[in-house]
Amino acid sequence: MIEFDAIYYDGKTSARTLVHAQSLGKNLFVFGPDVTIKVPIGEVRADARIGSVRRTLNLPGGAQLQTDDHAALAALFPRVNRLETWVQKLEQRWHYVLAALVTIAVFSWWGVVHGLPLAAKIVTAWVPINVEAALGNQTLATVDKSICGPSQLSAERQQVLRSNFAVLTSGLNDGYNYRLEFRDCKGIGSNAFALPGGTIVITDALIKLAENDQQITAVLAHEVGHVRNRHGLRLVLQSAGAAALITALAGDAVSITALAVALPTLLLQTGYSREFETEADTYAFKRLKEIGLSPKYFAEMLTRLESEHAAKKQAADEAKSGKSSDSSPAFDYLSTHPNTTERIQRALANQ
Amino acid sequence: MEVPNSNSDVYPDAGSAGGERRYPLEFTATAGEYFRIWIVNLALTIITLGIYSAWAKVRKKRYFYGHTKIDGEGFEYRANPIAILKGRIIAVGLLAIYTLTGRFETDLHYVLMAVLLFAIPWLVVRSFAFNAHNTAHRNIRLRFDGTYGGTFRIVAVPGVLVILAAAPLYFGRFHPDMLKTLVNLALLPMLGIGILYPLIKARLVKFVLGHHYYGATQFKMELSEYAFYKVFFAAVGIGFLLIILAGVLFGVVAAITTGATKGAAAGAHPVIGMAIFFVLIVIYGGYLLLFTYWSVRTTNLMWGAVGIGPIRLESTLRARELAWLYLSNIVAVIFTLGLATPWAVVRTMRYRAAKMMLITTGELSGFITAESAQVSAVGEEVGEMFDIDIGL
Repeated sequence: MIEFDAIYYDGKTSARTLVHAQSLGKNLFVFGPDVTIKVPIGEVRADARIGSVRRTLNLPGGAQLQTDDHAALAALFPRVNRLETWVQKLEQRWHYVLAALVTIAVFSWWGVVHGLPLAAKIVTAWVPINVEAALGNQTLATVDKSICGPSQLSAERQQVLRSNFAVLTSGLNDGYNYRLEFRDCKGIGSNAFALPGGTIVITDALIKLAENDQQITAVLAHEVGHVRNRHGLRLVLQSAGAAALITALAGDAVSITALAVALPTLLLQTGYSREFETEADTYAFKRLKEIGLSPKYFAEMLTRLESEHAAKKQAADEAKSGKSSDSSPAFDYLSTHPNTTERIQRALANQ
Repeated sequence: MEVPNSNSDVYPDAGSAGGERRYPLEFTATAGEYFRIWIVNLALTIITLGIYSAWAKVRKKRYFYGHTKIDGEGFEYRANPIAILKGRIIAVGLLAIYTLTGRFETDLHYVLMAVLLFAIPWLVVRSFAFNAHNTAHRNIRLRFDGTYGGTFRIVAVPGVLVILAAAPLYFGRFHPDMLKTLVNLALLPMLGIGILYPLIKARLVKFVLGHHYYGATQFKMELSEYAFYKVFFAAVGIGFLLIILAGVLFGVVAAITTGATKGAAAGAHPVIGMAIFFVLIVIYGGYLLLFTYWSVRTTNLMWGAVGIGPIRLESTLRARELAWLYLSNIVAVIFTLGLATPWAVVRTMRYRAAKMMLITTGELSGFITAESAQVSAVGEEVGEMFDIDIGL
């Protein structure tokens, strides 16, 4: 026999009645002023225990017993809600709490470094290439509407570069429909970027900056690497996953400071895009050698971009301190592709 | 049981004056206990790739509700984790489509945006209905019967103004040359939003709380829009003062640093950096204070307007105290890498509860129940995922 004190609510009014409950065989008996109840224990629905919160027994018909006698209820309903009973045990002991803390640290670290990239790769494999191409076309349309105008390059020059590009992409047989687009984009300086699905955009400024066509091909090989490895889609998926993970971790903290989510998300995204640059570089070195070009052209191009970047930055700095009035912000290929010195060295080592 | 042995509901009360009884809202959760619940919730959520989050939400809410008490009786949170999980799955799917189409600038994204805009009143209504239906005190549920139409009527005018303000800014992306004209075009609707804001907020508060029931008893709202405007203009005044103060401070700091830079040209850069950092902190602090002032004053007005049968509420939050709590919370959370979060949450809730009082001329036992229909969790979860919060 198990007995305990409880508060009885009939479920019809907010009046409370102090009662005494007793289990006898398969039945629960409840006695109190104006209350006498006999109910089979099997028909009583007990809520799961959470810490020191008063427990509730739901009786058939909507009435309730509430009690603080946790020991009695544990004895009376040992099998109620197994999952939450187990969770409650974890919450009770500090060494499980410590284990939870370690689990969170290890799992989030692994998830960020290996889990999310792997998951993104798997999910991306399920996306058909034509869906990717459709996404890429939409992006190109927006780029054309907002930041880029038609190229000022002559048709002959475009033809030469297109045939070089055809050599670069011929025989790849990876299902992508590679297309080279020339644009004149004021805001983004000397730049080239790959859109999901195979379209690669190169700016007039970058073509002007190159000393020879091999250097241009080297940059394009890097962009082909982005396309083949589906970096556009993977980056979006990975960043979204990272944001979800951080939101889960920060949870309550979000209401305390939004910075708790924004900053780590940004840092992770930068980290991921760096990895993709390395992956695209590796592909570029291999492909360049296959078509008989040395990766040194890639190193040369990076060097030229870097000196242009440095010059622009200096101009911008001077403009800021009021010494010069004419400047464009230092936004170009390098500001989106960090770690240049290392990349130049890798290219030279891969000759 | 701490309940006195008496027949039913004739309890001596904490304080009574002039036929009135005053019941403070008690909050008895502790940081240590919530820390353990929080950390286990987090670990299980991560290990199960988010699936457990539905159970985590219910356990957290049940813990806080159970420790929020009136006259010794805690609240109950009755939501079913499975219902929340279903809602979350739908919400994650929608958010994924919305985000992906947005990243690649597809037309579908703008269609979804429009749909979402019209869905907001629905999401808000469903979310309140879900939460009310799953909240009970003394075995009597709350209930919310606000409708889509009712919400829509309140948010339609500001909604149109938001669109009128956002549209020129959006087209500015494609026509940088016309940006200045377009920005000017957006100014008038933005001003309109600013002036209407207190009115909209007051009407929303009235609508949302006024459509709540405790059992069969509807909440009565006695709210004056005028009071919201008074708080609003006080906040605007404080804002101007803070801007002037920040300007003066910036001037002083600039004067000092230029003095310093003249002395040692190269070595003075850290001084400038520190000065800018200092000014930024002051601006952020000012913003925090202003925001807290507005939310504290309107929260007090909101609860003060509520009448439930013989009960009325009294909220006496103070902006200074809450701003201090927020500030110290941010510092504590940052310096403990987030581990102080449960402590920060619990102390803030304890403060908020301590400043809430129920004043009644009748008995708390006199309320009767009413039929309340089951509500799905989809609206609540989608709203949460898309961060739709009308901020009551």
